[in-house]
Amino acid sequence: MAGINPPHVETVIKNKARGVVQLHHIGILQLTQNLDDAVRGFKAGLTDAGLIAEFHYLNADGTLSDLPKLAEKLAEQKVDLIFACSTPAAQAAVQLAGTIPVVFTPVFDPVGVGLTQSMDRPGGKATGVAGMVPAAAKVAFIRELLPAAHSIGILYHSGDSNALLEVRNFKQAASSTFTLIDLPIVMPEDLSTLPARLPPVLDALFLPIGRVVEENFASVAYYAEAANLPIITSHAPNVPSGALGALVANHYELGIACAVKASQILAGTQPGSIPVGIVDSPEIQLNAFVADNLGIKLPQALLTKATEVFE
Amino acid sequence: MLLTPQSVELLAPVGTWDVLEAAVTAGADAVYLGGKRFNMRLHRTDTNFDDEKLARAVKYAHAHNVRLYVTVNNLISEREIPGMREYLKLLNQIQPDSLIVQDLAILQLARDMNITVPLHASVMMNTHNEHSIKTLMDYGITRIVANRELTLTQLTLLKERTGIELEYFVHGDMCVAHSGQCYHSGIVFGQSSNRGRCLKPCRWPYQLVDTATGKTVTANDPGLYKLAMKDMCLYTALPQLIQAGVCSFKIEGRMRTADFVSRVVKIYRQAIDRYIADPTGYTLDMADWQELSDYRTRDFSTCYALGNPGASSIGYTGEREPRFFSQAVKEADITANTFLPTVIPKEFAASANRPRPQLAVRVACLDSLSSALQNGATVVYIGGEAFKPNKPWTLKDVETAISEAANYKAQVIVTTPRITMEREISEYEQLFKSLETIKPHGLMVSNSGMLRLAQQTADLPIQADFSINLFNHLTAAWLKANGARKATISLEATYEQIAELAQNSPLPLEMIVHGAIEAMVLDHCVPSAVLEGTAVHLCRDLCTEQHYSLLDSAGERHDLKIDQYCRNHILFAKDLCLLPHLPALMSAGINHYRIEGQHYPPELVGLITALYRTELDKLAAGGNYTFDKTCIDKLTAISPRALGIGTFRYRISR
Repeated sequence: MAGINPPHVETVIKNKARGVVQLHHIGILQLTQNLDDAVRGFKAGLTDAGLIAEFHYLNADGTLSDLPKLAEKLAEQKVDLIFACSTPAAQAAVQLAGTIPVVFTPVFDPVGVGLTQSMDRPGGKATGVAGMVPAAAKVAFIRELLPAAHSIGILYHSGDSNALLEVRNFKQAASSTFTLIDLPIVMPEDLSTLPARLPPVLDALFLPIGRVVEENFASVAYYAEAANLPIITSHAPNVPSGALGALVANHYELGIACAVKASQILAGTQPGSIPVGIVDSPEIQLNAFVADNLGIKLPQALLTKATEVFE
Repeated sequence: MLLTPQSVELLAPVGTWDVLEAAVTAGADAVYLGGKRFNMRLHRTDTNFDDEKLARAVKYAHAHNVRLYVTVNNLISEREIPGMREYLKLLNQIQPDSLIVQDLAILQLARDMNITVPLHASVMMNTHNEHSIKTLMDYGITRIVANRELTLTQLTLLKERTGIELEYFVHGDMCVAHSGQCYHSGIVFGQSSNRGRCLKPCRWPYQLVDTATGKTVTANDPGLYKLAMKDMCLYTALPQLIQAGVCSFKIEGRMRTADFVSRVVKIYRQAIDRYIADPTGYTLDMADWQELSDYRTRDFSTCYALGNPGASSIGYTGEREPRFFSQAVKEADITANTFLPTVIPKEFAASANRPRPQLAVRVACLDSLSSALQNGATVVYIGGEAFKPNKPWTLKDVETAISEAANYKAQVIVTTPRITMEREISEYEQLFKSLETIKPHGLMVSNSGMLRLAQQTADLPIQADFSINLFNHLTAAWLKANGARKATISLEATYEQIAELAQNSPLPLEMIVHGAIEAMVLDHCVPSAVLEGTAVHLCRDLCTEQHYSLLDSAGERHDLKIDQYCRNHILFAKDLCLLPHLPALMSAGINHYRIEGQHYPPELVGLITALYRTELDKLAAGGNYTFDKTCIDKLTAISPRALGIGTFRYRISR
């Protein structure tokens, strides 16, 4: 598409035509614009690494079923590498015939969904940075945010494999700290009857990652507010919409970390031998307006550390 | 008139810089986008342009001979007025080609501030009659984004009568309800669809049930998503659209990707250019049509452009819904927490000079009118929509009402429907003529066109109804300047917002405190579409015998009220009841109260009127006021729907 590259890259493209520098063709397979911060980080990271690339950006705009044909389009463009945002985009890119290397993020369970054989040694044509914030870090965050909380409800969609994985991890990490109450929903509409399923004693709701609950967050927030329940979410946009706080990966940073892996691959390293990265510096987001409504005092230490505090 | 390449403008949505470039490259004549403030797409923080980017975007567009319109199409609250002034000042400096506006206050602000950027009336203004258009033109509006329920024929008529530029949505996501008149998200979630925060209750699953039995009435339910409008696509009707005199073809989708916008623009561009170059030789490009179709989000419909589309415009299965924004919830009931000042100042009690609080009651029939008057109503509203099985008010009924009210020294105000297209306008023009001799005490109008018509043709005091969406004192000032003597506060305003508005209003303000409240008003007839698969005009009067409701997944029953024009009015599951909060409202300076009693039987109208009358008089008398909570239990027991508190659940409506 015209004009997608910064001017200096356009110059390089012209120079390349005259055989001056090495220009990489990089495909970007995006599921939704919500993840475009990762793309921005990725591009910035490549520039920092001194690489010159022409980008071919395709976005499925949320339509999962479009991803395979979009991946095919990138393959037809003969790109050197595909940067795939989200699990389904990564799967579509990996399933292409041929050997185009794939760098992915924020894929939560690359091993579980078969993108890599292991985290340390992916083995195939894909590597990247997993987007899941370690469960232990989330448990510590909740403890610090809500020191008096004992009983935590975990609200998740039982048909979402990412959610199931995080629920498992979270339970493992939190079972000695909190009393955990499982609150699975089978269909989105189950959120409509949430109050009937909340136990009488509950100090907070924890929302693992997962599209259905994230999208319909307004209904969760609606009931939580009425029940005076703080919500800890895993989806950053839920914080300004009424969650008390979140410990989340910074997508821009994930993009930068992916650019490092991409530059290794472009320099000749096999993706299968580049370990999958994890989120090592998650950021804190808090909502002071919600805290005020709930009568919760946000700990000063957290306010200091927070990347963003919504008023 | 002969067509030229300038006859038609292709207008593309832009959310980010990438999309701007893509739209321009693909051949858009104009683009529209929002800043970070005051527009209809405020859910997403990553879309929309900051101030610096806005200025750059204008330069970029102009350098490419493309016009750029900025959406400023929000209702604004009292405390947002200073911010709006600043924003308008900035926009006037960067000079886009127009501002697309909703709030009437902006018309006044733009005039006061000498804003030189042309103004376009947003679709959120729900402009659907010539009188509205003329009023807007008086305020410098050069173009209207026409109401989406208008057909091409109606558009042609409006164009011929007013000469206004018409912009019409030709492609993309649509609302099932009349724009600017949907209060569902605003009242339930405190996130208003008139302020860019719609959580799309029209995309929830609903069962169609019999109101009386609660049992489903669909033997062969086409699907649960009974309000899920398909996407608009007029690609196949481009010749009709161009010949109708629509000058700007608007593509919806400010949150769409560059790819999407680029494809749609390119395909429409080619078709428009081909048609204008050779109209008689024009044929549909099947490959382009296929491509549009392949990349569609929902299935396509021509919506109202070629006539009421009935069932064909609804995607009943929900399978093509790209995403949801919320799920149904139990509406806040009468016991829910409110955001009210904890200490109510007693100053209202001290003022002996305060006039007796006015209590207005909207009634559906003469029996209800008597009941309201006997129990202390000082004003009764009659006319307007008649919800089946009630009959519309005849001239004789109006006369009877006036003579009965005279016995109580009460006023009779004749109201007008919320939506007044060609038919309603003509009928009311005639009614206003008749009222010259019948002489009610006043008229209540529901939109800017009715306001103008009433002002010009009837010699009666005029007041404005809630559908004007009064959210700030500048809108009240605008109404006053245009002939209104009283106005109704928006149903979406919270207590805090009401108190701030009341302080500055140049007009007396009326507050709706009790009754069945409408979430949505639709030209789409839900029962006839679901049960017969038809458009509205083909139905066999399904609604005369049976009454219908939509049951949501939270178990809330939304009664469907169908008026004499076959419009469907979807009620909230809970009726508003602010009886316990009258002291707070009095202290905010509200002296006019209204009960929406048109969906109650006469006895209930009387009972509710008496309750409010008693409490208001007790408050006005001063002294130590106590509220007897048991009357709420009594009310709850006899109300046809549960009672709720509307926006009083929220501190501010976002």
